[in-house]
Amino acid sequence: MKKIVKRGILFLLILILLLAGCSVWAEKTVNSKRGIVNGRSRAFAEISAEKENTLDVLVMGDSESFTSISPMELWKQKGIAAYDCGQSGQKIQETYYMLKTALKTQTPKLVLLEANLMFRNPGRIENLQTAISEAMLYHFPVLRYHNIWKTLLDGYSPDQDEYKGFRIRNDIKSYNGDENYMKETKDVRKISTFVDGYMKQIIDICRDRNIPLMLYSAPSPVNYNTAKHNAVQNYADKHGLPYLDLNYKTKELGINWKEDSYDRGDHLNVFGAEKVTAYMSKYLSENYDLPDHRGEEAYKEWDRLAEMYRQEFLAVKGK
Amino acid sequence: MAYHTLLYGFAFLPLCLVLYQLTPQKHRWKVLLAFSWLFFYMISRKLLIYLIGASIITHYTGVRLELLRTEEEREKESAAGKKKKEIRLRYQKKGRQILALGILLLLGVLVYLKYYNFFVRNISNVLDLSVLPFTLPEKKLLLPVGISFYSLEAVGYMADVYWGKIRAEESLGKTALFLGFFPQIMEGPICRFTDTSDTLYAGKSLEWDNLSEGYIRIFWGLFKKLIIADRLAVLVNQIFDNYMEYSGAVVAAGAVAYTVQLYMEFSGCMDIVVGSGRVFGIRLPENFRQPFCARSASEFWRRWHISLGVWFKTYIFYPVSVSGLVKKWNQFGRKHAGKYLTRLVTSALALFPVWLCNGLWHGARWSYIFYGMYYFTLILAGMAVEPVRDRFLGVLHIHPDSFGWRNVQRIKTWIIIFTGELFFRADGLRAGLHMFRSIFDGFDIRKFWDGTLLGLGLGRADFAAVIVGCIVVAVIGSMNENGIITRIRKARASETAKWCVMYGLLFAVLFFAAYGDGYQAVDLIYAGF
Repeated sequence: MKKIVKRGILFLLILILLLAGCSVWAEKTVNSKRGIVNGRSRAFAEISAEKENTLDVLVMGDSESFTSISPMELWKQKGIAAYDCGQSGQKIQETYYMLKTALKTQTPKLVLLEANLMFRNPGRIENLQTAISEAMLYHFPVLRYHNIWKTLLDGYSPDQDEYKGFRIRNDIKSYNGDENYMKETKDVRKISTFVDGYMKQIIDICRDRNIPLMLYSAPSPVNYNTAKHNAVQNYADKHGLPYLDLNYKTKELGINWKEDSYDRGDHLNVFGAEKVTAYMSKYLSENYDLPDHRGEEAYKEWDRLAEMYRQEFLAVKGK
Repeated sequence: MAYHTLLYGFAFLPLCLVLYQLTPQKHRWKVLLAFSWLFFYMISRKLLIYLIGASIITHYTGVRLELLRTEEEREKESAAGKKKKEIRLRYQKKGRQILALGILLLLGVLVYLKYYNFFVRNISNVLDLSVLPFTLPEKKLLLPVGISFYSLEAVGYMADVYWGKIRAEESLGKTALFLGFFPQIMEGPICRFTDTSDTLYAGKSLEWDNLSEGYIRIFWGLFKKLIIADRLAVLVNQIFDNYMEYSGAVVAAGAVAYTVQLYMEFSGCMDIVVGSGRVFGIRLPENFRQPFCARSASEFWRRWHISLGVWFKTYIFYPVSVSGLVKKWNQFGRKHAGKYLTRLVTSALALFPVWLCNGLWHGARWSYIFYGMYYFTLILAGMAVEPVRDRFLGVLHIHPDSFGWRNVQRIKTWIIIFTGELFFRADGLRAGLHMFRSIFDGFDIRKFWDGTLLGLGLGRADFAAVIVGCIVVAVIGSMNENGIITRIRKARASETAKWCVMYGLLFAVLFFAAYGDGYQAVDLIYAGF
């Protein structure tokens, strides 16, 4: 039996060493060849490749997050350096490791978490599988980026098509349903214990590093409702977190559901995102201590990117 | 939680190994049973009741048959001459009744859950045609995982006890473990009691050689499933789900790709299964033996899904071959029809139910029945033309084992296999026939290399991975066929070599498997049968 334990441990140790070595190589490759990673992992690769200690706001969450806040608009309005690290259908395990990945190189002054992902619960076994796989992907990034050999073989384009995690989506598909969708109710949607567990870890990480964590909900008549709001509000109150639900502020934001969504009220298009971001820039600068980096030498790239964004936005607006 | 998932490989199996080792030897089988039921529960939840029910029925049928035999022996001892035959016949009748009841209960559940809606749909279609004013409603029936596998094992076990080939297991738990052992519950192999019982209950301590060789087998299975099969799934789904858009060489490529996918997936899963047994020191029978080396359709089925073939041979082919009807035909045929025709019809009588059941076993679809009948016809045709073929070879002075003739036969067998799998995968018989016809519609061999195949969801890199993977599998397969792997194993490969193989396979899977960005996890195909 001793022989088995000894050899087993040795086998695992060598495996860990090999994986760690390959991971160093993979991370270096990914950081030096931007655009080499496609798909879901791209968000991880891009945030890792950001210049160290340049980001002040991290926006996390599922697709509701990166379709509602445009970092270039925040930059234009208040010079806030924000980054959208959301992924489509991001699971809470991914959010947790995304935050940890970002914090390896960044020291943000605020983490903004879009709350819709707190209701994603694919079941116990699926949750467990994701928990194991995400932990492995985080500790051994070579596994996350293992498909880069394909891009190396098939070719890739290093062109920047994102504005700090935000893409310009200018399609318009109107939402024609009830605009007064946040109906009065005492119903409370359940937040799974799995999500609760990861949320607590996210809260702890932010507290340990003195980073304020704020929950928010993007306007979405298809995705959001009062029962979800009640659950998040209760959760935020219980843990002393601020919560801003923009579904109650669509009038103030000036959201026009006829033209501000690209998929019939599920997500905002760039025009809706501009409105939400304009509001958020004011809200954040009033409530948090976020520096204005415009004109600083280290942020020259941001000014260039903001100009590109402006041009592209004007082009799509004029269509 | 299938065998190729992280949860199985990194949590379930290691946890089971640790608890197994920490438990005293005589109770270790209980750990395996607990984990087997947990595994089943994690997939099929409360349908676990079906497996437990099947275990109880199988066990007590076995015990009752065993008891009957003991009683028969006792009575025979005290009886004399003629009476002994009378006693034997009486007990044979009783035994047959008990066996029939057991089989009826087990297969009844299987047939009801798996085929009820199929029958109802077809009866309704007939009623529709006859303009009768009522229809039979379809039901929403959930199928417990592995029911097609454990039901056959259970029937085999009861029949073996009835025939006196084995003694019935005394412990209900042990019978339950035989039917529900977690590595084999999803996709087989369909074991016979004698295949596994000696190692399954032995509770042998873990050994390094078993662990390392078991894990090599598991990694090898993952290599086939995750690098080759799951990649090909993208292309196969694209062609078969949109078959109206494709014709000619693309459809032919789809048939070949699906055959390779199915082989890599099913045999890969079997590698994981056999490896999972091996880590505990439990030997499970092999289900594949280089099927693409086969020179005829019947040889292919002796190398592909072996345990299913063996089951049909043992429990359908043989009993039918010695049945009254076949005996009568033999007598009649020898007198009136000649040796050749008698043999052919005898084979047809015994093979027909085998292939009908083979088709139906895969599922309640006409295309599966067609698949069974396709092989029945081809195998029978193969037997029918044997004398003509032999004469033809003789006239041309071609040795039947010559290199050239062997390869002609192999290519012919491949075409048979690819065509069969085309119908097997197609979305129904009509789609299958359409696809088959469309192969001959503007077939242009250049499509294999002119870039057309790159428009089906797989890039150059994916094709490179599939081709290199297939070459590796083919080389290992040919080494296996020629006994080289066995010789290496017997010579006891050095520990360093083993470690290199383990790391090599593991890293190949980690780096080149179709997981993560751009890939969807692909469920095990045979777990759905």
